[in-house]
Order: sequence, then structure tokens, then C-alpha cells
Amino acid sequence: MAYEYEQEEEKFIPMQKGSRAFGRLLKDIFSMRRESSILIGAVLTTAIAATLYPLSLAFAINSVISGNFEYLYIYATIFFLLYVVQFFSNRERTISSTVLAQSVIRSLRERAFENLQYVPVTFFGKVKTGYLISRITNDGETLSEFLTFQLPQVVSGVATVIVSISIMFYYDFNLTLYALIVIPALMGFTLSLQGKVRRNYLRTRRSIAAITGNLSENINAVRTIKSFNVEKNMEERFDGLNNTNFTANMKASLLSSLYGSSIRVIEAVGVAIVLIAGALQLKAGLASVGILVAFVVYVQEFFEPVVQLSQLYNSYQSSMVGVARIYGIIDFPRQSSTENATMPADFRDHIELRGVSFSYGEDDALRNINIKIRKGEKIGIVGHTGAGKTTLSNLIMKFYSPTEGEILLDGQNLRSISTGDYRKLIAPVLQEPFMFKGSVYDNVLFSNPGASREQIDALVKRFSLGEVFRNLPDGLKTNIGEMGRNLSEGQRQAISILRAFIRDPEILILDEPTSQIDPYSEKLIIDSLSDFLEDKTLILITHRFSMVALVDRIIVLNEGNVVEEGNFNDLLSSDGVFHHLYSIQYGNSDGF
Amino acid sequence: MADLSGDSKGMGKVFAVFGPLAFGLRYLLDRKWILAIVVISSVVSTLFRLLVPIYIGDAVTAIQKIQYSDVEYYSLLIFAVSSISGVVQFVVNYGSQYISQSYAYNLRKDVFSHLIRKKFSFFEEQTSGDLLSRSTMDIEASRNFILNTSSQLIPTLFLIIFAFVFLFTINPYFAGIFTIAVPILIYIGIVFQRKQRTHWRRIRTYYGQMNEQLQENIVGNRVVRGFSAEVQEMAKFSGTTGSYYDEYIIVARLRGKYNNLMPLVVSAAATGILLYGGYTDIIGATVVGPLVAAVNIFSLISFPVSFLGRLIVFSENARAGISRIQTVLDSDKDEDLELGEKKRVGGNLKFDHISFKREGFEILKDISFEVKAGEFVGLTGRTAAGKSTLVNLIPRFYDPVSGTISIGGTNVSKVSLALLRNSVAFVPQEINLISGTIRQNIAFGSSKGDLETIKWAARIARISDFIEALPDAYETMVGERGITLSGGQRQRVAIARALLTKPEILILDDATSSVDPETELEIFRGIRENLSGTTVITVTHRESALRFSDRVLSLNDGVLTEETPVQHIPVVPDKFRDEEGEADA
Repeated sequence: MAYEYEQEEEKFIPMQKGSRAFGRLLKDIFSMRRESSILIGAVLTTAIAATLYPLSLAFAINSVISGNFEYLYIYATIFFLLYVVQFFSNRERTISSTVLAQSVIRSLRERAFENLQYVPVTFFGKVKTGYLISRITNDGETLSEFLTFQLPQVVSGVATVIVSISIMFYYDFNLTLYALIVIPALMGFTLSLQGKVRRNYLRTRRSIAAITGNLSENINAVRTIKSFNVEKNMEERFDGLNNTNFTANMKASLLSSLYGSSIRVIEAVGVAIVLIAGALQLKAGLASVGILVAFVVYVQEFFEPVVQLSQLYNSYQSSMVGVARIYGIIDFPRQSSTENATMPADFRDHIELRGVSFSYGEDDALRNINIKIRKGEKIGIVGHTGAGKTTLSNLIMKFYSPTEGEILLDGQNLRSISTGDYRKLIAPVLQEPFMFKGSVYDNVLFSNPGASREQIDALVKRFSLGEVFRNLPDGLKTNIGEMGRNLSEGQRQAISILRAFIRDPEILILDEPTSQIDPYSEKLIIDSLSDFLEDKTLILITHRFSMVALVDRIIVLNEGNVVEEGNFNDLLSSDGVFHHLYSIQYGNSDGF
Repeated sequence: MADLSGDSKGMGKVFAVFGPLAFGLRYLLDRKWILAIVVISSVVSTLFRLLVPIYIGDAVTAIQKIQYSDVEYYSLLIFAVSSISGVVQFVVNYGSQYISQSYAYNLRKDVFSHLIRKKFSFFEEQTSGDLLSRSTMDIEASRNFILNTSSQLIPTLFLIIFAFVFLFTINPYFAGIFTIAVPILIYIGIVFQRKQRTHWRRIRTYYGQMNEQLQENIVGNRVVRGFSAEVQEMAKFSGTTGSYYDEYIIVARLRGKYNNLMPLVVSAAATGILLYGGYTDIIGATVVGPLVAAVNIFSLISFPVSFLGRLIVFSENARAGISRIQTVLDSDKDEDLELGEKKRVGGNLKFDHISFKREGFEILKDISFEVKAGEFVGLTGRTAAGKSTLVNLIPRFYDPVSGTISIGGTNVSKVSLALLRNSVAFVPQEINLISGTIRQNIAFGSSKGDLETIKWAARIARISDFIEALPDAYETMVGERGITLSGGQRQRVAIARALLTKPEILILDDATSSVDPETELEIFRGIRENLSGTTVITVTHRESALRFSDRVLSLNDGVLTEETPVQHIPVVPDKFRDEEGEADA
């Protein structure tokens, strides 16, 4: 129950297996040749230096026992120099591993972001924003620790173990065998826990993603929450998720803490075995005290990489889940029409909707629509709420593709025309104008970064929008806040209009462009529009009649069907849906 | 907060690394005992751990003296103390995790309750993406430090202290050599910490910015696509990830240098002891056991010491995070929902000489008016005239600069916000649906969540036909922000939600703009018939809506005037004005 959404999301965005994701990640890492070879060089240097130092210690101690000052100085100096070497190699390792890790993370984030620009619009209806953000930012972050610290450390640990076992075998074959007795036990123990560890980490990741999702939703809906005074309910909900996360983490921690303690005990067994076996060897005159000391250090040092390896495994699990989640976004198929749509868009004569039907799932939102719009024609689409007007504009914008039928641009199917190219012909004024944080200018320039502020000022003047923005403290330079929250809806619409007009497009799609603008300002806009619209094609969606003066032809939609078509006078005189809609708005309300 | 600044002089610098801890303790007050147990356990664990090299030294001495039974004895002892240390270490690890998770749990809870009680004005300055990163990753950064403090930093400090004591018992001169190393370690630590501070602050800020841009891009995806601004957006995002990357690399360079200096200092001390100890052992022809033990102690502490540098990194990261969280925790922008009289207010609404300013700009000028209980009032006026501001003052989303608003004779500032907002239902311009079923969305603000009442509200809001035609009817899931519903449908769900609370005053802030006029009038009539006692204020530009209203108030340039509906001349396209009469006929 708690993770219903999460499971649904995981189904919707398929996830690669951790090992697959890891393989891909390694490819990304090794594609940075210079950094990765520096890193490998540094890691190996560190490993070798780290393995040699117990040996120099052994020789120093042997020289103490044998009373040789000169050797003591030499080996003590080597002992120190090995640390100096480690200082330099570790420094290189730190820097190159960070460069690699951060470059990989950066590129993952940018690729995910890029793909988000091209996934089908329906994608955003299925995935919660908070979860999506969490995938790109938080999941990327889990990789940082893993790639910067754990992975190089383990590579170095494994190298240390290999080099030190070779050295040990070289100096004392039998004692080495004794020293290695505990290794299989250690490995077996570690491997037996893996499945559980993985499950634990999946659980903690999901529970933290649920927290992020919930927070995001609450932050976005905070005005609604306040309006309805449901702060307490929301707190309770959040507390539930917070608790689940706590429990999941503690459960995961129990296992890893038990593991850590067990490792210590196994380590102690190893040291004790070496000491006893070493004593027997010494008795037989087979080893020196110094070598025995070195062996004890080696055995202890085996365990550091193994403990790290187990930590790595945890971190590997959580990072790979994270990476797989980012790859899930990167791999999500782009809107099918963008893939093989390469035809350049060139609008010469007409756009035609031929037998177009569309459904969001169950029922048809549009049924068998046939409309032909000539270049330069101005058409209006009217109808009740839910009649399918906005769906129609979404189809023309190519946000969705028709379930049946086709949309043709000069006879060419829209599916085969480059989406980017096609949308350059069009400028929409969408029903819900989205605003970015920044100034009014920034928001208008968004659609045409090449335009100047003077051009915007000119447009504002031309459409008499100065009045609409008169209460802004800094004029059009005023910061409008996130999503333009510091503005009124009408002002946001005015920006949306400017944003479309500054593109000077061939086709203008206006979806209820002035629904929140007062009639007086609206009239001023309309008065200037006819001039602006010359030679442009207009598709106007509205259930207000103040703008229909601009159009040549009106199409009336009702429940997904075209029910009437004609010019204003024809439709008004026929006793249909249009007439009805008109009389409600301008007729006498006594009639109801 | 002074203890967090870390800029205090002298010893303060040494303890600056603990700064975030002082903050953390506030959320661990109920975990004092566990904290104590963890600290004691880490003392025990490190003590026993350090006994291992001592016994190794003894074993080596025994081997050198050819007393083999002692070797077995010491081997057993090593096994025993290691095991004890291991078992106690479990308490340290698990306890640390418990502490850090409790901290995160409590802090998150606190952050959430502050966040949800912030005034509207707070959200005008902040962005939701950034707030999200404050309440997730910034908390995580500080939790990570708490975890590592308790599982690594405290044991390491004890390890250093005990190492010193043990070295002293082995040979006071050994301890002397070690004493030189400690201040150098501390000095390196302080310099390291100082140098990276500003960078962590920037890293956390860029991280917030990344969240912010993602949020905007995702929510505004249609606008981005509609204007084919994808490439532009990618460049913007890439700018932020680039700055984030650059800061990380600067920190990595610092870490590469300072962090690795620390084990180098420790090894220099070990070399010193090896040379001095070796020299005296040869001169005195004594056993090498103590020397072996001393050098072994160093190899034992060398790894934890190298970890100290990372702890400093964690500490700085946490400090930067905490100062960002503090923005949410500062309560000067919090609302107290319970403060004030606990009564539901109803009756007539009165504005008495209300003025309101924003950033020095006077939006409402000395507004006075009265609305009788049960009246249906249309509020109109030019775009940005202050209509929304005016209605936002009623449930006290903002407070006026001067003047009083009263409902049923009670000053709204005297009533608890919880009850005021229970009596006043506000349907905002921007509709947020929560993810869940339609039923949950309608029942959002009310405990009266039974299906019959929900259906009743949906019927009045003229959305019941639509809902009931859906295969899952009221149990249909709506996506986040109600993406699968049209603008008009979403508005009607929001209206149903408001009706369910059976409010004394219903405010529709342009809440029917995406609903066609016919449906809008049906909704109004439904409200009239079913909630006759409810006062309705609707902000609108629509002719038909104004004509339906009992009274029309018009707000222009911050000044309110009363109009009669008749005065409104329908805006009819000029070129069809001739046919107007015909249309009416």
C-alpha cells in the first residue's frame, strides 16, 4: 500500500539490473582516458606502497634485534618514504577520482535532462515531479560517495591484498597458508548476506523517494492546503512516511552493524592463528620475529579492504539503484514522432485534419474531426468546457499524435515532419501560461532569446498592455517569483501573449488567451490584433465571444464532434449550440 | 546560532568542526541516554581495540624470549579483546545509525511543520525546487555528519587519547614524540576547514538551483516544447551543473592536499618512534615487543586519522546545509493556526478602511464596504487592480497594512486561523490537486468525507456527470497537479472541494475562468439553492457572472466602487453590433 505509486513508477520507467547499469557506468568512466589512467596509476602506487611498508617495518625490527644501526636508519627512512609516496599518489587519486565522479554525474544529469525535453508529454502525467527531480538530483548524489571514495578504495584494497599475499608467500609459504585460513570464512559470510542487503537498500531508497515526493507535492500545493486548513492532516501523512523511512533505515543498519562486528571477531581469529602458527614456525627456526610482525600487520590489513568491500557492496547497491533510475530516464523512448521525423516544415498552403480521433484512454476526446485550414485563414473553435477544444490544439501543436486519422501540413503527414522545425512555425498562447522565475522581460524573451527589450516595449505599447503591468514596482524588470506567483493571472496571460507575439509566427494558436484579462484591456488587445494577424494563420480557441470578430470561420465542437461550422452570422441565426452559448453570455439571465 | 558561526577565536576554531553537532543535539534531547551509551561504548571499544597492539607486542616479546606458552596466552587474549571490541562496536554502529536517523526524523518533522505553516509571503521569495532541496539533501548532509561524528569522529578522538596514554605507559618518550604530531594535525584540520567553507556553501546553493530548474522545466514542459526552447533550457541547466562541478573540483584539490597530509604527519611520528625506539633498544639490548606495540598502535590509528579529513568535509557540508535549513526553521514567517478565539465566524463581512501595500506599492487604498450574509457579490475591475489581493485578506493569507476586516462583527485577526479558514472557503486561481482519487481530492478539506456528501458537492459544482461517467467514478486517480483533467474540470473539482466544507463565506477567485459561461451559471445557481446562507464573493470579468450577482463591486487602481449589474454593457464585437438585437430576440 505504502509504495503503490513507487511500484507503478518502476513499471512505467523500466529499470536495468544493477550489474548492467554498472557496466554502462564503467564505460562512461573509462571514456575519460586521461583521468581514469591517472586514477588507476595513483591507486596502484598507493596499493604497492601500502604493501611494502610492513615489510620495511619488518626489516627495521629485524635490524634492531640484530643490533644493526645502519639498516635501522635505512629501513626507517624507507618506511617514511613509502608514506611520502602515498601522500602524492593519494593526492592524485583524490583529485582524479573526484573529477571522474563529478564528470560522470554531471553528464548523467545533463543527459537525463536532455531526454526529458523529448519524452512524450504524457510522461509527465504519469510521473510525479518530486520523484523525477529526486531521480536526477538525489540519485545522482548517491553516486558521488561511491565513485569518489569507495570504488577507488576497493580497487586499491584488492591490489593491496594481491601484492601482500604474493610477498607473504615469497617470505613464508606455510605461515601464509595459516594467515589465509580465515579468508574463505570471511568471503562466504559476506556473500551470504548480499541478497538481504540489496533488499534493505531498495527499501530505504523507496522510502526516501516517497518522502521527497510528498514534500514536493506539499510545497507545490501549500496555498491549497492553507485555504482548506488541512495542515494537520498533511503533517500526519508526512509523519507516516517519515516513520517508514526511519524503520527501513534501522532495519538495514542492524544487518550492516552485525556484519561489522562479526568481521572484527573473524579478524581477531586470524591474528591469533598467525601468532600461534608463527610461534611454532619460530620454534622450528623457520621464520624471523620481524617477518612475524609483518604478517600480523598484513592480516590486519586484509580486513580493512574486506570491511570496505562490504561497505562498498552497500554503497554499490544503493548507487546502482540510483544510476539505474537515472538511466531509466535517459533511455525512456522519445516521442515516437521525433525519432524519424526529419522532413523540414514548410507551410505554404494549408493544414488539414483528416478523420482525426483522439483518446486519452477510455473515451474518445475527439471523434472523426475533419478540418482544413488555409494559410492566412483565421478560424475560431468554440464549444462547452470539455468539448475537446484544448485537445484539438494539443494535437495541432504535436504534443500528442492522433489515435486515428492524420494531420497534414501541405499534404505531408505531421508525423514525418521535424517537430522542432514545425513548432518554429507556430506560437501558442496556452490556457495555463507557465512562468519561469525571473523578470517579465526574461519570460517574454524565453520564446525568442534574440529579441531585444525595446521590441518587447514596442509590443507592450502596440497592444496597450502597459496598463496591465502598471502595478509592478520595477516595471517589466520586476522579478515575478516562481511560476509568476507574484503576478495576477491576467498579467501572466499578458506575458504569455507577448511571448507568442514576439516570435512573429506564421501560425498563432490562442487557447483562451484573454480569459482572465478585463474586458477593457481585452478590447484594446483585440483592436490591435487584426493588424498584427495580417498574413498570419490564426487558430483561436474560446468560449468567449469578444474575440470572434477576428475570425473568418467558426467551428463548434460538442462532446468531441464538430457540430456546426460557418461564419458568425450564419451560426447565430441557426438555432444551434453556438446560438445557445452566445445568448447565455450576452442574453438576459432572467431566462434561466 | 553564534556557536555555529565557527568564527569565534581560539579554541572555538578547534571545535568548529562540532558546530553542526550543537544544532543536532536540539533534535536528540529525547535520545540523551542512547547518546551516552554510544559514547561509553565507543570508549570501551577503542580501549579494547588498542589492547590488541599491546598484546601483539607482548606476544612478540614472548616469542623473542622463547616463552611459547605465553604466546598462546597472548594470542587468546588478542582474540578475547578483539571480540569484546567487536561486540561493543556493534552498539556504536547501530546506536550511531539510530541517533542519526532519529535526528533526521525529528528534524524533517520540524521542517515540515514549519514549512506548512509559513505565510504566503514566504513562498513568494522561495522557489519550491530549492525548498525541496533544503528539506531533503540539506537534511541528509547534516545527518551524514551526525552519523559519522558518532560512529567515527568520537571513536577516533578517543583512539588518539588512548593511543597517547598507551604510548606513555610503553615509553614516555614515545608519547612525547606523539605530542608534537597532535597540534600539527589540529592546525592542518583548521586550515582545511576554513579553506573549503565558502565552497560548500556554493555547492549546496547550486544543488538547490539544480532542483529549481528541474522543477520549472518539468512543470513548464509544454511551454518549453511549444516554443521549441529545449536547447536553450539544456544550456541553462548545463550552466548550473557546470558551476556545481567546478566547486566540487576546488574542494577535491583542497582535500587532496590537506586530507592526505594528516596520515603523513602520523607516519612521521611513527618513523620518529621507530628510529628512537630502535636506537635505544639496540643500545639497551632490550626486547623489541614494546617498540612493535608502539608502531602497531600507529598503524591502527593511521586509517581513522586519514578519515578525519573527510569528517571535516562532512562537517562543512553539514554546516552549509544547516544554514539553509535554518531559513525554513526561522519562525518569523510562521503562522500560528491556533492562536485567538476558537469560534466559527459567520454573518456579514465588513471591510473598514483597509489599505494594503506590497514593496512600497499601494495596492488597496482605504477600502470600506459591507456584504450581508447570504449575498452573492461579483468583484470586478481591471487586470491587476488588486481584486485577488482584496479577497486574499479575508482568510488572512495576507494582513492589511491598516484597517480591520470583521465577519459577523468579529475582527478576523482575533479569531484563530484554523477556525477562520474553516468558515471561509477560498478557491484560488491556481488549482492544485493532490495525487490520489477524485474522491480524496474533493474530501481534502473536510472530515465529512462520506460519498453521499461528496456526490452532493460534485453535483452542485457540475462535475458529477463527468466523474460518474468515468469507469472508476469517484475512485479515479488524478495525476499530480491533476494533469489528466482539463482546466475547467480541475476548477470544478476545486469548487466541489470548497462546497463540501459548507462554508459561511465562499470566495471564488476567478475560479470559473476555464468553465464555459453556461456551466458557470449552473454552478452559481446550484450554490444559491443549496447553500442559501453562504455569502459568495466571486472575482470575475465575465458579463454573465456579474449579471447573476446581487451586487457588483468594482475595484480600480485600488479604489472600490459599487456598481449595479445593469450598468455593464456587454462587449460585443463591433462588426456584429447591428445584429445584436436579433441575437437577443
